[in-house]
Amino acid sequence: MTREHPDAPRPLISFKAIGKTFGTKQVLKDMTLDVYAGEVLFIIGTSGVGKSVTIKHLIGLLGIDHGEIWFDGKRIDPLPERELAPVRKRIGMVFQNSTLFDSMTLAENVALPLRKHKGMRQKQALAEARARLQQVYMADYADRYPAELSDGMRKRAAIARTLTLEPEVVLFDEPTTGLDPVNARRIDRLIRELSGTHGVTSVVVSHDLVSIFTIADRIAFIYQGGVRAVGTRAEIQGSPDPVVQQFIAGKASGPMETPGF
Amino acid sequence: MLGFVERTVTQVGTTMVTIAREVGGIVVMTAQVLRALVPPSPASLDGRELVKNLHKMGNRSVPIVALTAFFAGALMLVQSAPFVEKLQAHALAGWASGYAVLREIGPILIALMFSGRVGANNTAELGTMTVTEQLDGLRALAIDPVRYLIVPRVVAMMVMLVALTVIGDLVSLVGAAVVGKALLGIEPATFYHSVVDNLKPGDFLHGVYKSIAFGGAIAITSCYFGVTVKGGAVGVGKAVNAAVVAAAVSVMLLDFFMTYWLG
Repeated sequence: MTREHPDAPRPLISFKAIGKTFGTKQVLKDMTLDVYAGEVLFIIGTSGVGKSVTIKHLIGLLGIDHGEIWFDGKRIDPLPERELAPVRKRIGMVFQNSTLFDSMTLAENVALPLRKHKGMRQKQALAEARARLQQVYMADYADRYPAELSDGMRKRAAIARTLTLEPEVVLFDEPTTGLDPVNARRIDRLIRELSGTHGVTSVVVSHDLVSIFTIADRIAFIYQGGVRAVGTRAEIQGSPDPVVQQFIAGKASGPMETPGF
Repeated sequence: MLGFVERTVTQVGTTMVTIAREVGGIVVMTAQVLRALVPPSPASLDGRELVKNLHKMGNRSVPIVALTAFFAGALMLVQSAPFVEKLQAHALAGWASGYAVLREIGPILIALMFSGRVGANNTAELGTMTVTEQLDGLRALAIDPVRYLIVPRVVAMMVMLVALTVIGDLVSLVGAAVVGKALLGIEPATFYHSVVDNLKPGDFLHGVYKSIAFGGAIAITSCYFGVTVKGGAVGVGKAVNAAVVAAAVSVMLLDFFMTYWLG
């Protein structure tokens, strides 16, 4: 099942038959997927299937073994590390573990990219960082260190830090995992607002079925190294594929092969 | 028998490949640091990180370095005391201690102390940042970890090891003078003249050159093993161990060759 976005015939991001192997384990096998400007695309699938690996390729944190990755009409997978900086300024990433720098306060964390890329002095960057933290309701914790805060707070601060560079695309790696339902829905709302208000394209790796079937424009289901199904929420929910149905129903038994079980 | 030979060859081969990989990685990191620093530009070095590291690595090491240096200098006099007494060479005691301290004992002891305190800490910190994906977080923000994290640490370690060695040399000579007075009754003035009349600036610079090289070796090895950590907390422990061993071996090898070349 494949479907092109009606308003954007040319994808903003294209993974073309990419492959990735770690040791003897082939994680991605000729995976092909398009992402369109302004949409919220969820990448779903079981643990270890290569969802996070897929998005890390997009900003060069991992290198593909074969295939091509295109962003805004330019092939980016062969770019050396030093030429990836412009791409990384346009594609932000919020990691599963937040990856805030634990030797810095939240304000210093958010101020760092402002200082390095916007030419701000430390004082000015810190003031701007507080304003950015206010947008995710974290200004009261600006002078606290990441270790002193909960997972949800750290994730919100990490989102604020990623948004400082005003990226066109934001990659979210399991943004609601480990959060209570209230904070999880707040993160969902933020992702939706980014797309609706600022036109940001979001690629979200998630297992959270509530998030998936609440805010996704499209959903790509990864299975056995490739995209098994891609479509709107309704299309995925109505998929005749028993593997897709087993995943979205969260059933322990079914046709899905899950190595290790 | 064949199994034993096969196992031994495999083990030796694996060890050689590991050493080659580590040495290659260290050379590549050295090249990356040099490329970031040459030609110098404001983007080469993050001033805030440099100042933070200078303070953390240098200022906080002064007490332990001073303590070590004082007793190292004192030890020089304790060891030479019987010969000084036997030969009545009181006027040469300062020269003997100073020569050993400035050229060899000072740079070596302080470098090893620095490696244990600062190098190990640096590897653990970078290793923890690596396993918690903080380095990937930096790269995702289009910030080069080499320029932002590694270069300031390398510069700070080289500058601070030289500064600590100079401080340590002075404290060490004070230690030797104090023990000289206590054990052999050598007057501080006699000790002072023995040092300044017999030692040349070259003896002092010999130790400074070594400190620059030792600082670079400790910095690069500790950073390299930190950023290449694999395997969580256990991996960080192994990396710290490897970094301390690699730094000690590097310091000893550099000391041998530099003593030979510098004369």
